Amino acid sequence: MFDFLTHDMLAVIWFFLWCVIWGVYFIADSFSLGAGLLLPFIATDEVQRTQIQSSVGPFWGGNEVWLILAAGGTFAAFPLVFSKMFTFLYLPMMLLLIGLIARGVSVEYLHKDENPRIQKAFAWGWFIGSLLISLVLGVAFANFFKGLKIASGGVYTGTLPGLFSPYALIGGVLFVFMSITSGALWINVKTEGAIAAKAGNLAKKSTLIVFILSLVYLAYSFVGIEGFTTNYSATPALYLLPVLAVVGAVLSMFFAKKGRGFPAFCSNLLTLLFIVESGLASIYPYMLKSSISPDYGIDIFEAASSHMTLSIMLGGALVFVPIVIIYQLWAYTLFKEKIKETEQIDY
Amino acid sequence: MVELILLSRLQFAITAAFHFIFVPLTLGLALLVASMETMYYRNKDETWRKMADFWGRIFKINFAVGLVSGLTLTFQFGTNWGAYAEFMGDVFGPPLAVEALLAFFLEGTFFGAWIFLDRNRQKLKTFSMWMVALGTNISSLWIITANGFMQNPVGYEMAADGSKVVMTDFFALITNGYVWYMLVHTLLSAYLLTAFLIMGICAYHFLKGNNSKVFKKSFSIAVTIALATAVILPVLGHGYSQYVTELQPAKGAAMDAIWETGSRVPMYLIQVPDSSTGSNSVQLLGIPGLASFLYTGSFSGKITGLNQLHQDELPPVGMIFWSFRLMTILGSLFIIEALLGLYLQKSGKLYTSDKYLKLLMWSIPLPYIAITAGWIVAEVGRQPWLVYGLLKTANGISSVPISDVLLSVALISTFYLILMVFEIYLIKKTVVNATGAE
Repeated sequence: MFDFLTHDMLAVIWFFLWCVIWGVYFIADSFSLGAGLLLPFIATDEVQRTQIQSSVGPFWGGNEVWLILAAGGTFAAFPLVFSKMFTFLYLPMMLLLIGLIARGVSVEYLHKDENPRIQKAFAWGWFIGSLLISLVLGVAFANFFKGLKIASGGVYTGTLPGLFSPYALIGGVLFVFMSITSGALWINVKTEGAIAAKAGNLAKKSTLIVFILSLVYLAYSFVGIEGFTTNYSATPALYLLPVLAVVGAVLSMFFAKKGRGFPAFCSNLLTLLFIVESGLASIYPYMLKSSISPDYGIDIFEAASSHMTLSIMLGGALVFVPIVIIYQLWAYTLFKEKIKETEQIDY
Repeated sequence: MVELILLSRLQFAITAAFHFIFVPLTLGLALLVASMETMYYRNKDETWRKMADFWGRIFKINFAVGLVSGLTLTFQFGTNWGAYAEFMGDVFGPPLAVEALLAFFLEGTFFGAWIFLDRNRQKLKTFSMWMVALGTNISSLWIITANGFMQNPVGYEMAADGSKVVMTDFFALITNGYVWYMLVHTLLSAYLLTAFLIMGICAYHFLKGNNSKVFKKSFSIAVTIALATAVILPVLGHGYSQYVTELQPAKGAAMDAIWETGSRVPMYLIQVPDSSTGSNSVQLLGIPGLASFLYTGSFSGKITGLNQLHQDELPPVGMIFWSFRLMTILGSLFIIEALLGLYLQKSGKLYTSDKYLKLLMWSIPLPYIAITAGWIVAEVGRQPWLVYGLLKTANGISSVPISDVLLSVALISTFYLILMVFEIYLIKKTVVNATGAE
């Protein structure tokens, strides 16, 4: 299969797919994360908590699989990167894992018990889980763009506190706010009543924060991060990516102000997607960039699996990724009604 | 270094065993609930609706923890078994990615749809549950394809520098005989576990004097599945153990602690193996030639003893022996319980047989124990190999600070313990509160 493609070409295609899968994950999970980040603060009673839960309940599980696919795809296509990424960032990955477990269980168990204290505990579990996921991923990706302290021979010399540079912290906070915005607008679009109005008002402020943070983050990336501009200078068309991110943020602000939830929601996703892709575009051909010297980084050609594995995986992805996207989109059409305050679901 | 290897193994053992507490019930209940949804869709009989609701509620509680605890395993291949990931990525990665693509998306997407679709959209609800059932069951094929390679590597060659395996034949990975023995064994035992859980819960209600149709009907379905799986498992298991013994003689010999090579090898009903002396400290009631028959299909068949195999490549014999014994003894008990259940039900005495009903309640944990024991035989029996014949377990770990691993073991174990207690509490509450009338 795909014998007409050289191994290097397959590696490049897989890098592209890898960027796509991560992008899809970030936008797909953002509104469940945001809903969790907002839940303990904006829902005043069980009715509103149930509304929020029901707005993401049908979708979050399927959306999280994009993260598993991103991890599994890295394992299959770039085993070396998979190994190093998880080993270098051992403790952050464990925190991410704890966040994923806490979030998943909390969404499902939120109202399984009538004891208000247990319900409250799960509401906070959902919050903490969502915070860990968005923060760890935001900080981790900022570090990927900045480069990890990989010395000669692939030896990792970084430390845990070393990961929290100002740039990475801005990245983390930006991801948290992009998620909050996504969640607020989703709740605004998907529910009815007081909670929808409250979320809509909140989005007016959070879209502004996202706009400011993304400008700061992008400016920092292009000015303060070594090697960030290399690919952009070689291929100026890439500048479209950060431009689209900013355009998204502006539109999102504009629509949120006008009270048009859905276009605001989509525009925010545009920002999220292109913030991620702007960074990924800068590190190519490296997947794990070294901040010590470019030569020490791990590039896609070194990390890629065999020609056979890459082609089988490519065939599988070309057939099944579209199928998955189609039935996931179809699932959204099953639940297009707004969630009323009176709705009771046996969750 | 030794401590790091042990800790990494401990963490994997804890997390894999924990994950597999939830998987079998998911596999079995998904199919059953989907069938109940179909029956309700077809003939609009309220009993089927109530059954789908009740068992569906238990399915939901169980599914959530199964889903999230699976993530841990994916992560750990990178965090704790980095050297393994690099060695095996070319072969192991694809089944894992395909599992996500083909199975997890189906499960995740349609699980949400099934929960939130109401009974006015019964057709879609039924379809969604079938997709969940399909997803969960397909998922086992892919992960066992990956595991099958670790037991019996096929369809690969070593990279020129010997640093990793490279896939040469994807088809061979899937048609690996080991995969299919293991898959059928795993699925059947999952269905058996589900059947015993249902029988136990029904027994609880019969004991309370609640003989509602929901539980009666559930019981008769479950007892049939229990009997069928309990009988087929050892029959196929017989072929499985012969196959394993050919491929991994040490695992095979350890299952019955056969120390010396011989033909017409007896099987002892009472036996205590002792690795330090390389013999049994107690062996009583030997049945001549039975071990030979079980392992080779002939009473005079030759079995290679543990003492005649490479001494530095032996798995821990005691652990495998006792796990295997436990599994087979429990397996025999399952046949008896299922037969008894069928008899009592047919003769109409079931609902008044308090002793039997109590036995069923207490039997709920037994298939869980049997399955865990079976996995210990399969995975510990592979030691000291991580990938049989190719990579030793000690060479598969990530070089991470031991304090990090210590922290993660403690963190994950505590977290899992809380989850487990809460999940049991929720299931118990669901069972106790049900009347079968709602």
